[in-house]
Amino acid sequence: MLRRVLSITAVVITALLLQSTVFADLKLLGVRPELMYLVTIVIAFIEGPNEGAIVGFAGGMAQDFLLNQPKGITALTLTLVGYAAGLSRQYIVSASPLLPMILVAVGTAAGIAFYQVVAFLLGQLDETFTYGLRVTLLTAAYNAVLTPILFPVLRRVTEGSRPTRVVRF
Amino acid sequence: MVTRQRPRSTRLLVVVLVSVSLAVITLDYRQGESGPLAGLGDAAKTAMAPLQRAVTNVTRPIGNFFTGLAHLPTLADENDRLTRENAALKAQIARDAYLRIQNEELQNQLGLEDTLAPDPVAAVVIANGLSNFEWSITINRGSSDGVALDQPVVTGSPDAPMLVGHVVSVQTDSADVQLIIDPRSAVAAVLTSAHERGLITGQGDADLKMTDVETGTEVEGNEPVFTLPYEVAGQPGLYPPGLLIGVVSRTVPSDNATQEYVEVRPAADFATLQYVVVLQARTGD
Repeated sequence: MLRRVLSITAVVITALLLQSTVFADLKLLGVRPELMYLVTIVIAFIEGPNEGAIVGFAGGMAQDFLLNQPKGITALTLTLVGYAAGLSRQYIVSASPLLPMILVAVGTAAGIAFYQVVAFLLGQLDETFTYGLRVTLLTAAYNAVLTPILFPVLRRVTEGSRPTRVVRF
Repeated sequence: MVTRQRPRSTRLLVVVLVSVSLAVITLDYRQGESGPLAGLGDAAKTAMAPLQRAVTNVTRPIGNFFTGLAHLPTLADENDRLTRENAALKAQIARDAYLRIQNEELQNQLGLEDTLAPDPVAAVVIANGLSNFEWSITINRGSSDGVALDQPVVTGSPDAPMLVGHVVSVQTDSADVQLIIDPRSAVAAVLTSAHERGLITGQGDADLKMTDVETGTEVEGNEPVFTLPYEVAGQPGLYPPGLLIGVVSRTVPSDNATQEYVEVRPAADFATLQYVVVLQARTGD
């Protein structure tokens, strides 16, 4: 269990680090990816809604505390995104290798849109509507492109640290 | 493989996590800059700063190499152009030196205080803002180096500082700077030749927007825009006067005169910003 918590913490910290350094320079049409959304959705996809919600909450909260904006909005968004992504996985019967990419794209777009709605309701959204729309669509596309690269890594990390099941009689 | 989970416990978990998030949003909204949540934020940033510094140290040379490769074909042309510009600028500097001496004498006579306070702090950019909704940088200097909240941040040479932004959060060994291109940033500015004042707000990666300019002002293209000194109830503004913000890129007329605005291209290149200087904030007197 401890090993699992540690490895997922390492994933979250790595994602935040890459997001603020490397990917700040690797922009796609002026937009950087949202790695924490990607990590949450992929882990929810592999592990289910329970883990999805927990990783989303923890990762979102970590991101919130590094931003200079009202805290808690990303945590709220990613908790719901992780839960929904994990839940939808249980109802979709498909072995298509494209499924994670599609789920990441839809989840990211929905999450970023939800984030903006909450920020708007709190009076904290100063960006224009067109910029918001652009970010929503481009981050979804960018995250989807990164999914085939990061999916195997995340699967290794989560499955490698999964506790072995002990059957008791 | 997806393990089968008891839906009720998962739902309860989500309800709890959502409630905690909502509680954090509410608490943070009410407390603002002070309070335990801000302290937690500082702790998180303090922990991240060394890691960001390490990653940037490793990745920046690689990034610079690839940026250089991508720009190789245009470099020869740029070299030519820069050589010519350099010659022109040398002549300009000679003239400026004379003007500066004259200006200093006049300022002394008028009893104006030196706007750039002593002991500026040079800093390296170690990270950029995390989100697509925040235009900020993290620098490797903090309260232990004398950096404080609201201090203005510039880049460029000491003689021609270009405005970057101001400090919005300080930790012991790092600080966050809100860039002037952030939509939450507002800077009082003055057009050089028209002598008209206005307010400059950020528009993200697009050019800055200068509003509240007197209607009917003749604005020239490429006209430089500088920070404007102002005081509110005896408190000086965030930025010292005379810092270059950018040059006018276009004016946007509209049918409604009050909705006219001027677009200003920032002088500092925020995409490749690596070194900045933190100035001491002016104290009210």
